[in-house]
Amino acid sequence: MSERIYLLPLWIRIWHWANALLIITLTVTGVSLHFADPQLPLVEFSLAARIHDIAGIVLVALYVFFVIANIVTGNWWQYVPKPPGVMERCVKQARWYAYGIFRGEPHPYRVSEEANFNAMQAIAYWVMMYVVMPVMLITGLIFLIPELAPDRLFGFDGLLPVAILHYLTGAVIIMFMIAHIYLGTTGKTATSMFKTMFTGWYEQH
Amino acid sequence: MSKARFKEIDQLSGESSVLMSWQKTITVVATFVACVWSFQTHAADAVAADPEVVEKNRKANEACFACHSEFGFKNPPRTDMDMKKLAETLYDPKVFAGSNHGTMDCRQCHGQGYNDYPHSVTGKSETSPCAECHATKVARLEPQYDASVHARLESVKAKFTCATCHDPHIDLGATLLKDPHKIAIQDNKACLDCHNSDEVFAKYAADDEKTPGIKKKRPDVDTIHDWLPNTRLHWKTVRCVECHTPEVKANRPISHEILDKEKAEKNCLSCHSANSSLRTRLYRHLVKDEQERFGFTNSIILSSSYVIGATRHPLLDKIVIGLVLLTLGGVLIHGAIRVIFAIRRKGKTQ
Repeated sequence: MSERIYLLPLWIRIWHWANALLIITLTVTGVSLHFADPQLPLVEFSLAARIHDIAGIVLVALYVFFVIANIVTGNWWQYVPKPPGVMERCVKQARWYAYGIFRGEPHPYRVSEEANFNAMQAIAYWVMMYVVMPVMLITGLIFLIPELAPDRLFGFDGLLPVAILHYLTGAVIIMFMIAHIYLGTTGKTATSMFKTMFTGWYEQH
Repeated sequence: MSKARFKEIDQLSGESSVLMSWQKTITVVATFVACVWSFQTHAADAVAADPEVVEKNRKANEACFACHSEFGFKNPPRTDMDMKKLAETLYDPKVFAGSNHGTMDCRQCHGQGYNDYPHSVTGKSETSPCAECHATKVARLEPQYDASVHARLESVKAKFTCATCHDPHIDLGATLLKDPHKIAIQDNKACLDCHNSDEVFAKYAADDEKTPGIKKKRPDVDTIHDWLPNTRLHWKTVRCVECHTPEVKANRPISHEILDKEKAEKNCLSCHSANSSLRTRLYRHLVKDEQERFGFTNSIILSSSYVIGATRHPLLDKIVIGLVLLTLGGVLIHGAIRVIFAIRRKGKTQ
């Protein structure tokens, strides 16, 4: 019988799956809008625009909830890579992904209730949640209220830098999502981490 | 050949040469008339250039604006004027001077009946129709207008003139106005003056088909456009006629066939795609200057408005798609290697 620990409280799991659902919705509609073309039959443009607006506003609300809940529960501490030896642990982790995982070496980091994430995870999640997401959400809100954008910039509409930042951060989130889903298969079994995200119980390697 | 036959041929060739010379004369006269007509027509489209004439006209117009302006209305130079009528015909001299007709003498359109006060009772009816100068334009646009929603009912059509939509004292052509936002504001005002006012709409409205004797009620512009995302933003940045006129070929002026809600464009991709119809519509006068600045498609549109789907950067798109595909390919390859190694390990263990 392998060791199990209760790792993820209900609010984190609900937030995670709501976040996932919204980001997938925003990805599909965002691609439909940005790459709008009669030859590319994705979601109909006006429908995509409406869904993207609504899902975007819900995501902002969910993000605010996430930040507040993190502060209230102290969960924010999980995202802070704990010194000393952060770099060494990152290198060790990267080496495992690049080499050790193929050879069936054990996971270099042991998950505990005190520290859910390995050093690389903590840094990646911190950057995603506290740098990329705010830029994405703020630029999205400016899109909803374009009067907030500068009128003109470098001879172009002032909304252009907002649009480019929104587009690039969106692309980073999509790339993160692909890697994140894939890394979810690197648990004890290919599905054990997905189970953890539903049940909250984590199976040690 | 007999002499009589030669005579006949001579006679025929003589008649033929007479005919030829008549043909030539008619051709020359027709060409001359066409040239003069064309010159007059184009002269009507262009702004008068002679500074002396412009100054002379401006001075002459001062007499009109002495009454027909906000200042004149507040400080009437006479006491015997019909102030109610005057209130309906007030113009800003500065706005007029900047308009298409701003260099002309008011009396060039309004006739000599307005030389003195009281104006001639026939003055209004003697006002020149637009076709007097803009003959070719009117001839070209009339069939389009006749197919328009405004011409569907005779009772409504009878109330419409060019000036119903195009105020000759204010409006400025797109090539002179240049800025698409200003063009949108000016041209949408023409539509919204009626379609956003119950009072003005009622002046033109026909009887409701369902309730004869009762005028058709003005549909609320916001409600009938509620399918359109960012409705108000669209009205600030594009014209109603972008969707409410049929598409025309590139380099052709926008059609005057105003389409009703059934026929109007509802396909967002018409504008929101790389091959945006805005190029042949609102930005038609600017497209010749398109240089794809900084690598942006439709950079000429981007100079005024970021139009998602239309104002893209193909190189940036390729890089982003490439990076996403690399990530996807990377994890798939990583996963495949993991599976291969796991199978090998399993084989060794067994």
